[in-house]
Amino acid sequence: MPSRLLPSQFKQLDPFVESWALASETARLQRRFVSTIEDLKAFYEAILPQMDAIIAYLNQFSLEKMPDEARRLFYLCLSLAEVAPAVELFKQPRVPDGFDVNRIIPIEDKSDFGAAQA
Amino acid sequence: MKTEEVDRRWTTDHPELGTGPLLIEPCTSEKYFEQERERIFRRVWLNVGRIERVPQAGDYFVKDLVVARTSLIVVRGRDGAIRAFHNMCAHRGNKLAWDEGGQVRRFTCKFHGWSFDLAGKLVGVPDENQFFDFDKREHGLAPVATELWNGFIFINLDPQPKETLKEFLGELGELVNGYPFDQLSASHFSYAVEVKVNWKVAMDAFQEGYHAPFVHKESLAYTLKSKENPLLHPITVQLYRRHHMLSLYGGNPQYRQTPVEKLAHRFGPSIRPQEVSFDLPGVNPARSPDWYHDVDVIFPNINMGPRRGTYRTIHFWPLAVDRTRIELSHYFPRAESPGQRFSREFARCLHRDAIMQDLGTLEQTQSVLASGAMSHFVLSNQEVCVRHFHKVVQDYAGSYESFCAPGRKQPEVSHA
Repeated sequence: MPSRLLPSQFKQLDPFVESWALASETARLQRRFVSTIEDLKAFYEAILPQMDAIIAYLNQFSLEKMPDEARRLFYLCLSLAEVAPAVELFKQPRVPDGFDVNRIIPIEDKSDFGAAQA
Repeated sequence: MKTEEVDRRWTTDHPELGTGPLLIEPCTSEKYFEQERERIFRRVWLNVGRIERVPQAGDYFVKDLVVARTSLIVVRGRDGAIRAFHNMCAHRGNKLAWDEGGQVRRFTCKFHGWSFDLAGKLVGVPDENQFFDFDKREHGLAPVATELWNGFIFINLDPQPKETLKEFLGELGELVNGYPFDQLSASHFSYAVEVKVNWKVAMDAFQEGYHAPFVHKESLAYTLKSKENPLLHPITVQLYRRHHMLSLYGGNPQYRQTPVEKLAHRFGPSIRPQEVSFDLPGVNPARSPDWYHDVDVIFPNINMGPRRGTYRTIHFWPLAVDRTRIELSHYFPRAESPGQRFSREFARCLHRDAIMQDLGTLEQTQSVLASGAMSHFVLSNQEVCVRHFHKVVQDYAGSYESFCAPGRKQPEVSHA
């Protein structure tokens, strides 16, 4: 494990790295489903007030070339997008009365959605 | 004039559609499904992908068309043209390409090593002089008619298509022309899912707004509906010979974005209503300030949703009378920065979750449709596109009334 997980100004988010700095949509979605709504809220409430500063920091890098610390921080942002519907809309991890997301197969993930996960 | 009087005209302006109920049996009948296979899917233009999948000569992808009992190779040739062939070796019929796609100089059959160039010409036959009266020129790949529209690759399995793609798309094609597909298609996310549902039942779930206040009550509905339009009547409906479109309403003046949504929209387009799109070509023909997005339904199996800055497509590919492969793609310009990429991810997750709500009803519906407890669906004015779609299905595949057993007791037809 590297000595610094996240850039120093965002180190208060270090405790969320292990759970939420995940490279793929599938991994982030699975994490959302095995979490409680309280887990999701804790992550959401910790990162949301930092987001303006986080995006400003990340935007100095290109998607293709980000230092490891920045990339972990970027993955946390993608996880915020993943948990937002659960926290803000559904008030539960899963989509109420929704189709089983595990049956959905992501295909052709060759665009920048995939490149950013490399 | 009262609202109800105005918008009932979507149906009553088209007396050929009637106002009666719709027979259910063609959504559960294997025999009717066979008619659809032969009379629709083997005859009309079908979209199998976009040009971005095959940018260079030798780029190809494979499209399995279970409903037509075939598989296609779609490939860009040395001359830049995109061609489609049945994915079948001209020797003993082995499937030629087994993967999803890639880059090749030629296609070589795994069975006996026959090889074909990018134009489908047979160029290599091991031990060729062992064949009798053999001329390689007579054994190319079986071609499939291919045409392009706004970067969408359409094929037609009819060896002699009865009309061009432009003629087939007709007025809807002309309306949508001008929408900036070329600027919006650089990146996309796609999902496929096999759902135990008849393909028409699945199509119908995406071509009316009546379901939105219920199915999407947590995710989208409260952002869209207003006091004036609580049940999300569409802004406009336009029915053409085979295709149709509707403009969905999203005029809630009280709507306030959620915190993450607000953040995401600083960096990219939304799947929720945005600024008024009077200037965006190819959409919102009524030029309404309450516009959310259009639903363009291209017969038989495409549902397209153009918005400002992003569009989605849903393709419904029948596998059997009660099984459908649903393919969802959401297109964006390429993300230029981490902030934009975050914004795309928000749109992706919200859109995916909303589609999960839509898919939730499909298997539940199909699981009881064959019970015989109901013989007909009842359709409201809001569901006029469902009515029209089934009319077009019948124009091709045969009348539901004459297909269903004669003498069966029919419910009374209401006359509005």
